[in-house]
Order: sequence, then C-alpha cells, then structure tokens
Amino acid sequence: MAKVVLEDIGVPIGKLLDSTEYESNVRHMRSLEQTILERRDEVAAGWGPEYVERVHHKGKLTTWERIDLLKDPDTPVFPVGTFVNYGIEYGDPPRKSPGAGVVTAFVKVCGRHTVVIANDNTVASGSWWPQTPEKIIRAQEIALRLRVPVIYLIDCSGLNLPEQANTFPGKYGAGKIFKMNSLLSAEQVPQVAGVFGDCIAGGGYMPIISDKVVMTENAYMVIAGAALVKGGKSQTITSVDIGGPDIHVHISNCADMRAPDDPTAIEMIRREIEKLPTTAIEYYRYGMSPVEPRFPTTELTGLMPVDYRMAYDMRQVISRLVDASLFWELLPEVGQEMIIGVGRVSGLYTGFIANNQFLTEHPEDPHNTRPGGLLYQQGIAKISAFSRACNADGIPIVWLQDISGFDIGPEAEKHGLLGYGSDLLYTNSTNTTPMITILLRKASGAGYYAMSGHPYDPVLQLSTPITRLAVMEGRTLAIGAYRTKLDHNFNIITDDPEERAKVEQGMAGVEARITKDMDPFRSARQRDTDEIVLMGELRDYLKTIIEMSYQSIGYRRVKTPRIWSLHDLAAMFRRI
Amino acid sequence: MFRRILIANRGEVAARIIRAAKKLGVETVAVYSAADEDSPHLEDADLRVCIGGAQSGDSYLNMRALLQAALQYDCQAVHPGWGFLAENALFARLCEQQKTTFIGPPPDVIALMGDKAKAKETMRAAGLPLIPGSDGVVSSLTEVRDIGDRVGYPILLKARSGGGGKGMRVCRGPELLAEMYEQASIEADKAFGDRGLYVEKLIEKGRHIEFQVLADAFGHAVHLAERECSVQRNHQKLIEEAPSPAVTNELRREMGERVAKAAAAAGYVNAGTVEFLMDEEGNLYFMEMNTRLQVEHPVSEMITDIDIMEHQFRIAANQPLALQQEDIAFEGHAIECRINAEDPFDDFAGSPGSIERFEPPAGGNGEIRVDTHVRQGATIPPFYDSMICKLIAKGENREKAIDLQLAALRRFTIEGVSTTIPAHLALLESEEFRSGEYDTGIVPRVLTALQQGGGR
Repeated sequence: MAKVVLEDIGVPIGKLLDSTEYESNVRHMRSLEQTILERRDEVAAGWGPEYVERVHHKGKLTTWERIDLLKDPDTPVFPVGTFVNYGIEYGDPPRKSPGAGVVTAFVKVCGRHTVVIANDNTVASGSWWPQTPEKIIRAQEIALRLRVPVIYLIDCSGLNLPEQANTFPGKYGAGKIFKMNSLLSAEQVPQVAGVFGDCIAGGGYMPIISDKVVMTENAYMVIAGAALVKGGKSQTITSVDIGGPDIHVHISNCADMRAPDDPTAIEMIRREIEKLPTTAIEYYRYGMSPVEPRFPTTELTGLMPVDYRMAYDMRQVISRLVDASLFWELLPEVGQEMIIGVGRVSGLYTGFIANNQFLTEHPEDPHNTRPGGLLYQQGIAKISAFSRACNADGIPIVWLQDISGFDIGPEAEKHGLLGYGSDLLYTNSTNTTPMITILLRKASGAGYYAMSGHPYDPVLQLSTPITRLAVMEGRTLAIGAYRTKLDHNFNIITDDPEERAKVEQGMAGVEARITKDMDPFRSARQRDTDEIVLMGELRDYLKTIIEMSYQSIGYRRVKTPRIWSLHDLAAMFRRI
Repeated sequence: MFRRILIANRGEVAARIIRAAKKLGVETVAVYSAADEDSPHLEDADLRVCIGGAQSGDSYLNMRALLQAALQYDCQAVHPGWGFLAENALFARLCEQQKTTFIGPPPDVIALMGDKAKAKETMRAAGLPLIPGSDGVVSSLTEVRDIGDRVGYPILLKARSGGGGKGMRVCRGPELLAEMYEQASIEADKAFGDRGLYVEKLIEKGRHIEFQVLADAFGHAVHLAERECSVQRNHQKLIEEAPSPAVTNELRREMGERVAKAAAAAGYVNAGTVEFLMDEEGNLYFMEMNTRLQVEHPVSEMITDIDIMEHQFRIAANQPLALQQEDIAFEGHAIECRINAEDPFDDFAGSPGSIERFEPPAGGNGEIRVDTHVRQGATIPPFYDSMICKLIAKGENREKAIDLQLAALRRFTIEGVSTTIPAHLALLESEEFRSGEYDTGIVPRVLTALQQGGGR
C-alpha cells in the first residue's frame, strides 16, 4: 500500500507534565528569550536614531523601512544572521557593527518567497565589515540552493577600509559575492537589485550582474567615487554626476530603470518580482491545505526542561511542529534512540530525524536500557537509510538535534560505529534534497556533524535559546582535563584540602569557560549557526524554508508520494 | 529628473518644451533643419544640433538622425512634442531600445491607439460609449433594419474596407434602407472586393469634445476636464476652449472619471487626450485617443493651474503622479486662438515669410498667455505648418474670456505675413460662438457671412 497515512501523535501538555513544572520551564525559557528579543532590537536599531535621522535627511528610507515596503502587507520577515558580529568591536575608536551592517532575510514579495540582502544604511553607511561578505554569501548560497529569487537593496559605501585585510583577500572575501552573483545568474536564479545610495567599488559590482537594476535619483554606482576621482584625475565632480541614473540607466546601460525615490524604486522591484513565475507550493501540497498543529508551537517553551540533562518527549516536540500534529513514524521498532518519519509542514511533505531522549531497550539485551540522545549502531543505520530515501524522494529533511554524541566504548567499536557513522556522513554530504538543521538543545561532538550540522551544508541551521553547541559538555571536558586527579567515579582522589580546592577550582573554571562558549550567541556571532530563534518561532521558520524548498521547479527531484523509496523501507521492515 | 533631453521638434513646440525643461532644471538639446537655423528658440536651448535638410523627411522625421543626436549628446530622454514623430510607435520603440526615454506613452499603447478599430474596441471594453450601431459587419438587411429601429435614423452604412466615401450611404429612414443597402454593398464589392458593411448612427451637428488625461507608470490616472474644439476648418482646429459650454458639471465629473479609469485600464501612461463626438442630445461617443500632448493643452492648463508638460517629464522619469482627482479644481474659462501665417480669405492658403513686426499684447495678471517661438524678424518657412503663435485668454467666465481674447487680438500686431487674426475676431464676435451653441460647421457659416457682408 503505497499510501502515506499520517497519524495523530499529539498529547496535551497537561498529560505530559504537571503545571508547576510547566510554568517553571516557561519562566526559564522566557528569561532566555527576553535576552534574545532585547538583542534583536539592539541590532535592528543599527547605530541609533542619530543615523536614522541622517538617512531620512538625505531623502532616503532606512533599510528596515525599505524591507517593510517591499514585503507583502501583513507577512512576517525572517531574518538570518542577525547576531553576526554581535558584541565585537572593530577599529579605532572601537565601534560595533550591528548585524555586520547588512540585513539578510526571507521576505515574501508578491506571493513569492525571496531572499533579501540589504545593506544597513544606519551602520557606517552600509559599508562592509569583517564577516559582512560571508553573511551576504551565506544568503546567496541559500537562494542558490533553493532557486529562490534574490533582491538586493544596495546602499553601500564599499569596504570598511581600515579593516580591509579581514574582508578583501580571502576565499570568502568580498569578491566571492560577485562570484555568487554569477553562479546565481548561471543557474537562472532571478536577481533584482535596487540601488538607493552609495554603491562604490565592490558595492558597484554587486548589482550589475542582477537581471534588473533600479536606481533612485539619490543613487550612484561607481568604480571610484568623487573623492578618488578628484585625487587621481584632479576633476571636481559629484559622485551622482559620475555614476548616477542619468549615466547608468540611459547611457552606459549598467542599470535598467530610474526611480525618483525609495518607495517608487521598491514598487518597481515588486513589479519585477510579480512578472516571475508563481510558486509550485500549492501544487506540491497534493490537495491538502496548510493547518496549524493541534497543540501550539509555543508550548515548546514549557516542554523543554530547565535542567539540560533532563529528558523530554521528542515526539511531542514534533507534534508541535507538524500540520495538525499528524506524523507517519517509520521503523519505530528498530534503533529506538532515533525517531524518523514524515509529516506535513504548511501542507508540504517533510522528513524528520530526531533524537529520542528517553532510555531505550538494548536491542541485544532486553533487560538492559541505554540512555537516549546518543548514536548507536541501529539508530545510525536507520537514519542513514531514511536520509537516503528522503534524498531519493526529494523530501526536505529536518534534523532535530539534541545529541550528546556517538556511543563510546568497546561495544561501540565492536559494532563499527566509525563505519556506520562515516556512511551517515557520506550520505548527508552527498544529499541534494534540502536539509534543515535545528539545534534544539545539545549539539555535541561528532553527533553534531553526523546529524547534518553546519559543515554538512544544511540550507538553514537554527539554534534555540538553549542550544549547547560544542565538542563536549564543560563537565566532560573538566573531567578529561583532570582525569589523573580523579577516581573511577570522577571523585577527586587527594585528601589534602589545599590540593582538593585547587582541583575543584580548576574544574569549575574549565566547565564555566566551555559553558560560556556554548552560548548560542557565540556561534551566531561567528556564523556557526544561521539564526537564534525563539521556541515559538521554530514552526514559522520551518514553514518558510520548507515552502522555499518547494517554490521553484525544474532543478531538483520531487517524486509523487506514490512511488517514494520510503515505502520500500517501510515494506521491508513491516511485521507480517 | 533627467539631466538633459533632446527636443525632436521645432518652432512653438520646441519653445514650449524648453520652457518646461528650464523650470525643472533639465538641459535641452534643440535640433533644427537647414531651414530653421535662424529660429529664435534655438538661442534658449543649452545645445543645438542640425539634423538635416529643410524637408521634414530629412530632418524632423529623420529618426536615425534624431536618435544619433540623442546618443551623441548624452541625452537621457527625447521629447517629441506634438506632430512629427509624437505618435510614431516605431520611433518610441527605437528610443526605448537605445535607452533614451521617450517622453510619452509606451510604444505598444501608441500602436494600439493608432489602430482606430482596436482603439475603439479597447475603450469600449474599458467602459467608454461608442456611437451606437452594429457590432462589426452586418449580415443581412433585416439586421440593418433592426439596428435602424434601435438607434434611430439617420444611420450611416460604411464599407468595412472603405475609404474615400466609397461604399458609404446616409440613410434617413427605413423606407430607403433596402435600396441603400444594396447600393452600398455593390459599391463596396466593386471598390474593395469586400461587400462587408457596418452600420452606425449618423451624428449631425456634432461637437468635438476632448478630455485631457494624465496617467503615471503605476496605474494612477486623473482627468483635467474637457476642451471644446468644434471651431475647425477642414479638420484643422482654429479656436479651442475649456471648459466646453455644452458640458455640464455632472457630465464632466461622470465622464471625466470614466475616461481616467479607461486610460488606466488600457495601460495608458503620460499625457493623452480622449476625443468624443457629442450629439445634439448631449451624448458623448468615443472617437479616438491622441497619444500625445495636444496643441491646445494651454486652455486646460489655464483652468486647472497645472503645468501638463511638467507632469509629462515627471511621469517619464517614473515619478508617481501626486495629483489626486479631488484636488483638481476647474476655475474660470480659457480660450485659445491659433494664429497662423495663413490667409483666411483665400481658403487659409499659407503665407510664409518674414515677420517684420511682432508685438504681442501685454499679459496683465496672467489673463493672457502667448505661446510662441517667434520674435520680430523671424521667418515662417514654407516647409512646415504655419503656426506663428497661440494666444490664450482666461476670464472668470466664458463671457469675460471672450471679451479679453477679443481685446488681446485687437492689440496684437503682426506684420509681414497674413494671419488668421481676422478670422478669429469674426468668430469670437459671432452670435453663434458667443451663444455657446455651435457645432463643427461654424467656421464656413461665419466666414461666408463675413465675406458676403463685405466684412473684409
């Protein structure tokens, strides 16, 4: 029966935990989320009201005002890379670069999902800081993977020259942006650029490869601006005279359309997007309408325990992410430490691979149990097979990570986990179906890699307020570091009170430093994750990226559910 | 706004464009033919370029030369004015191809409105009334009879492939219909090899009423009320006025809104004019759309205080139209007389030559406007139209406007060539014009009476 029959897996929150515990969990999560919300506001404010005023004084809109006009009314914007460079200061006097001076976001324009790349003109005139090129390249990469149109809103005074050594020469230096422009173009990914102000040197190259370029009367695109021309050629002339719309729209043909002001330019960009083919999303819903889960996603704030070592029901996390809380779990009998299956997100089939947190039965020793959140032989085999099947069927895969790592010890080696693990890495490395990785909580060691962590090119990786991304937990590392001072139960051996205190202090120090490094802001700051989202936002981000995965046709395999490879997997293991 | 534009026109038109450009801080490149090298307006342009010989085909209609000049002088746009290439879709297309913005509607719209049958179909679909008649070619006499009964006599039978009056019959009653239908069909068959006829109500004593519209590139359109252009001789307008004495405020509001909506629906962009024929009962029927600014646009500018040409520039530079219909007020009455170097007593024969004296009446409180390129000593060459200037008067009402215009015409001194001023005086003084109840037959009636009465 090659049918996809989804079953209700939702359990009301009241049956999962008592209200005291629930409320305490919510309070804990809310306090973490509060920090995220405050820091988002801080980043969105750029360099503050003084710089907003400057932008307005020039007759221009701020970047966020532009995005607000660009998006379809009443649709949310999904930023990525918000916290890149968060808290880092560059230059003399030292200055922060909120969002690395660029907004990259998923924005719905004329009913189509688009990737918007917009220089933040309230941060150093939209210039490029260290990590700005990498942030732009990442957004281009997502668009290229999913063939989603890119809209550039350019207002960029060029490289932040004092920091040029960090942004110019490398493999991911600014020049890579133009290479991505070219690759996007070569793959027929529509690119539309609006030039709203400065667009100097590198900034000048960014729009040109776009299919459509709109310039406002305030805009100019130049290899070198007035200052450099004055220095080099002893000519006094304004930058707009050198490379404004009068030159580029009508004479050089480096741009296509002129617009009197920002709102008109944005309207013209919208009209270009409207000319593109509409989306295939509805087509791939196979007649089902998108529907919210039976239990709201926001309940995840109370489902996740305060203590990161405590278990929770991963199936109930899934039930709060998928449409109507309906899910088809495959092979539940084998490799029980892993949960695999298919649900719909916004009506679109999506594969889920998640770590069961509970103790499970040892397959060869039914009287014994093993901790969850680890990778054992059968679980690895199961998710490898599922990952391959989803890839064969063109089903996007969501990896829900809460993983401490691979199992270790004699049994692990005897079972050949190195081999099984490598097979999984190979599978994920060569998958072409879109993969989305959510670091729900722990993302430790090789488990982070094996479950399609960032180095394995997911189209999007999200962290939550409680994500702990590291090779190992601080406590584990402290034990490793002080191994010679500890007995088999990890207790300090010495009886000398002074020595004891020293070891205790040392271990606490290691643990604290590692825990601090596991702060999701650290990975977000250095682009090791794409965005930190609130628990309640997880489904909204998922809906967007899944819709984006089904928006365009003709570039990847999407099989009818009738002939899914998944059915083979299910049929072979079905108990008769 | 554009830094520099090319003016693909001459004379009074070019002078008007230079004035609008200066107001917007736009540089102008004026072109001229060998016959126009001394035209006074050239001094007012920032740059001048000769584009060919005296014949229009070598100069003002020479697309290659104009396009080349626009490129060579780094122009962002071309203003075609009116006449010459203003409604030439190919020229507009060539301009767009080389990214020199054509200040006017998009080429497709020019082409659409240039095809009269398609234009009528488009505007009917967009909600404008057409002259009642058959829906295409009629298939039988019975059908024609039904149409006659429905729309009322007289009716006009016209050959589908017709022209020059062949296969055309006016039928004043049902009793003659069979005979006329037969005659027209045979005549059409003989002349064009096509018996196809269509039928429409014949409008006698029609009035020429046209609505001015402005539409931006974003689907927003407004109307600037109507002009009455019924004072014509051989389809050449002599006197225009706004508003029309035959249009009530209600009709203006209702039809104006329909016109603006229809223009937007048809994808119209920039300034345009929607022409109607008005029957004796005051019904308006769409005739055609002129995809350019009209010669007589100043009367609309006078009663609305809106510079239409300035808006042409802004719309071409993709500026959204800031005007809202409810903000546009129509105040007073404006009358324009086209003063040509022609002899009104010799069937308006051209009278080119040197203008030895040119003393236009003084303006006074913006009541009098003179649109011209002419100065004393200028020459009206024989190769082009013979326009010397346009004289426009505005009064608080029609009566006052006529009086002001008469006074201005009497103060106007032009020597060296014959002008149409005497005809204007006679028309404005005529009882028929002053009554406001005139139609397109007024010019021969008044002028014949004038000549017979020895008024010369």
